[in-house]
Amino acid sequence: MTANRSRFERAYRAALLIFPPDFRARFGDEMVDYARSAIDDAGRRGAIAHARIATALFVDAIANAPRQWIIEHRERRAARAAAIAAGVLPRDNMDIILQDIRFGARALLRRPAFTAVAALTLALGIGANTAIFSVLNAVLIRPLDYPNADRIVAIWGVQGTTGQNGVVFPDYLEWRAQNRSFEDMGVYRGQSVNLTGGDTPQRVTGSFVSASYLRLTGATAAQGRIFTDAETEIATKAPVAVVVYEAWQSRFAGDPAILGRTLVLNGQAHTVIGVTPPNIQAPFGRPDVFIPIPYYPNANGLQRGTRGMLALGTLKPGVTIENAERELKALAKNQEAAYPTTNKGMGVELQPLKEQLVGQTRAPIYIVFTAVAVVLLIACANVANLQLARGAARFRELSVRAALGAGRGRIAQQLLTESVLLSLVGGIAGILLAVVGTRWLSTTLANALPIPAAIKVDGVALAFAAIISIVSGILFGVAPAWNASRTNVHDMLRTRSGAPGLGHAATRNALVIVQLALSLALLACAGLLARSLMELQRVKPGFDPSNLVTMQFRLPAAKYDTPAKIWSMFEQTVAEIRAVPGVQSAALVRAFPLTGNGESAPVTIEGRAPVAAGDAPQVQINTITDQYFATMHIPRLVGRDILPSDTRDATPVVVINDEMANKTWPGESALGKRVQFTGDDRWWTVVGVVGAAKHFTLNEKPLLQAYVAHAQRPQIFTTLAVRTTGDPLRIVNDLRKAVWRVDKDQPVWGVQSMDQLLDSAVGSPRLIVRLTMGFAIVALLLGAIGIYGVLSYTMSQRTHEVGIRIALGADSRQVVWMVVGEGMRIVALAVVIGLAGAFGATRLLRSQLFGVGPTDVITFTAVTVLLSGVAILACYLPARRASRVDPMVALRTD
Amino acid sequence: MPQRDPDPRTQLPLTPVVLHILLALTDGERHGYAIAQTVEQATDSQVKMGPGTLYGSIQRMLGASLIEEAPHRQRAADDERRRYYRMTTFGRRTLELELQRLASVVRLAQSKDLLSGPGVA
Repeated sequence: MTANRSRFERAYRAALLIFPPDFRARFGDEMVDYARSAIDDAGRRGAIAHARIATALFVDAIANAPRQWIIEHRERRAARAAAIAAGVLPRDNMDIILQDIRFGARALLRRPAFTAVAALTLALGIGANTAIFSVLNAVLIRPLDYPNADRIVAIWGVQGTTGQNGVVFPDYLEWRAQNRSFEDMGVYRGQSVNLTGGDTPQRVTGSFVSASYLRLTGATAAQGRIFTDAETEIATKAPVAVVVYEAWQSRFAGDPAILGRTLVLNGQAHTVIGVTPPNIQAPFGRPDVFIPIPYYPNANGLQRGTRGMLALGTLKPGVTIENAERELKALAKNQEAAYPTTNKGMGVELQPLKEQLVGQTRAPIYIVFTAVAVVLLIACANVANLQLARGAARFRELSVRAALGAGRGRIAQQLLTESVLLSLVGGIAGILLAVVGTRWLSTTLANALPIPAAIKVDGVALAFAAIISIVSGILFGVAPAWNASRTNVHDMLRTRSGAPGLGHAATRNALVIVQLALSLALLACAGLLARSLMELQRVKPGFDPSNLVTMQFRLPAAKYDTPAKIWSMFEQTVAEIRAVPGVQSAALVRAFPLTGNGESAPVTIEGRAPVAAGDAPQVQINTITDQYFATMHIPRLVGRDILPSDTRDATPVVVINDEMANKTWPGESALGKRVQFTGDDRWWTVVGVVGAAKHFTLNEKPLLQAYVAHAQRPQIFTTLAVRTTGDPLRIVNDLRKAVWRVDKDQPVWGVQSMDQLLDSAVGSPRLIVRLTMGFAIVALLLGAIGIYGVLSYTMSQRTHEVGIRIALGADSRQVVWMVVGEGMRIVALAVVIGLAGAFGATRLLRSQLFGVGPTDVITFTAVTVLLSGVAILACYLPARRASRVDPMVALRTD
Repeated sequence: MPQRDPDPRTQLPLTPVVLHILLALTDGERHGYAIAQTVEQATDSQVKMGPGTLYGSIQRMLGASLIEEAPHRQRAADDERRRYYRMTTFGRRTLELELQRLASVVRLAQSKDLLSGPGVA
């Protein structure tokens, strides 16, 4: 019976939920009491009466609820109208907002210290976000500065699994003539050229282009004209050149008579027909001078079978990249059939130019952007906690306003307005910081960015800053507003002066846990990136990088037109260099490691069945003189070195690295075996095996490497490798003069020590590590301030309790433990959540890691220890203060 | 506090529920369920009011100052939490006016011989 009765009561009380809350609050208990009495009375009259009454009660509730809602609504409207008429309430929403803003501004100004700290925290967060966003915007979002930038695609040759490669010039000519998908195609090949005829020989950056390439990239002539199609189709008797504005200024001192002037480029006279405007767009680096493609200095560079041209195309409007690629693939197939010896397995691939240029930077930028966003989140949590802990004053004020009739919604709205106002103040300061920050970033990043993007706080960045300011304001305003709107007015007014502040301990602890967990996840990511950088720097390059220097020179083909002339020049140069005081040893090498130069070709192995061109092993071939291995300190493992006796007429010999020896002839000696390089029908005999050396990057997998004698494969381009006894950069001028003693017209450039090369090889990863580490440390500090603030606040609330404990004999160590223990519970929870988050987050980093797994135990342990250590320190400070409480003072408060 | 119009006539005519609640309170203060029971008994179960109807009316009558909550005092055998309502002077004057109005209606009906049927007292 009683069970039935209470069940009925519960059901009836639940039914009352359909009444307006105010009505329910006022009459709910009485209605339940009525229902209970009615049911009791009916129960005495039998089951049927009981059931009838019960039904009647529910019907009554359902019938009356809508009327109460209508009445309530009508009354509220009438009251509002009366209040507006009396001037007590603002007329419309705009008025309310303005009132809230005025009120919020006053509230913020009343607490300048709080406002300053909160605004500064936010300014840092918003400023850093805006600055990094400016980078993201400049590189990833803003369209490239070309006409029809969205329709420009890069055209790549592919072969087997070798990935993207340049295209073959004759193939390109056929595609350009036959395709229907492109408005136009252009071709480009960068190459430095010797400029002679002046006081000293100069090395200038040349760009061998088709006229269509210039049109496609939007290059125009500020003076004179650019090339006509006819001028770039075949080499003519009257070669021409277009000088780029910056080179005109720096190399020709802005010579007003530049048009018509003759430049001797690679020993050949070119007439200047035009000068570009300043700041032209050049996707692959801005050259000094444009030269028609037919004058490309390596004659076989323009022949069928030789890749290396960079081709661009503008799609016709409405043609998709997929369709265009399909068409070019079909054309490539036809070429494979038509030229089986050179085009076997050669395909083609398209990529949007934008993607081509910035694709590699996307992941690093997103990583840094995420890191900085996490910092802002933590900053928001900090400000939210500051607001929550703002104490009794605010609490009483809100209680009074609630008691005077401010609805919960109104109070929440007011607090939110105040928060957004605060974050906008922070946002404005943040934009100023961002302006400074972008200035710093644009110089720091100048060489790390793939495109010459102007990093500045533009309209888009300003809009972004405004949006994140408002979103931050809402984020850190929601918790306090929610807490305020939830609190019961009666409870509020009843509290003692030492009121618990806005918000409950649980909310504040949760915020701190979120902060610490985010910091930990961010630290873990930054730690992993730092570890990979360390691994990268620890990579053994395979040679000894100390006291090594390189310099480059290219002989003009017109002057050195026979292999004998080339070789004689090289021989004399090496001899001169070796005679320079301070030089320990020197050699020539076509491609010095880590300079980006290098040549790869498929090899054929004697006695093996021929394989398809795409499947043949790719070998990195380098052309050296004797003493190269000795100069680099690359260890010789078996056999002999390249020797001076390996002359042009001697048997062609090759020294390979252990990787190639083991992969190609596993379990047997490579010595005496013979190989052939594509494009050269001589057989090269293996005479020695050396250790593998890093060539293009430090994180590359070991390459198959082959070294041949310069004398047997002379090329006009070469570099010097010099090992010195002291700092190599101090004798650079002596080295230059040594070259000029051989040929006074020979430009020498690209002087770099191996230390500089190694440094730039890790430059980009180091930048990412610095930025993410910096943000992670800021996050950690904010997290530490967060837990410090919460514990300090809790302790100030518990002074009374601590006083009693001390009075009852607790010693200071116990008090410290009590407080630190409380902090540790928060930290422990944060560590668990943070580690879980970090395991998820670091997985996304995988592509950026080198030599370290995404769940590296050492890193995770280290960051956990670091975070816990800092957090415990932050807990210890309030704990020590609590332990020094004077019980007499503590007990007298209140 | 806005001034309330002291004229009881603004409240007329009363709804049957309000009228009966006022009638039930003429004998003294009562709690909600007791009001409903008194009305039900007095009208031979012709006027029944569930809690929704009753308290909806009570809310409006409180708002119009026809009734007021009686000061809390200990009452034997009663749930201490119950609230008691009593008629205000304004309520009593309003009730009187309403009854006079109804009486005049009845007199008019009698003059037209409309109330002579059997069963009508």
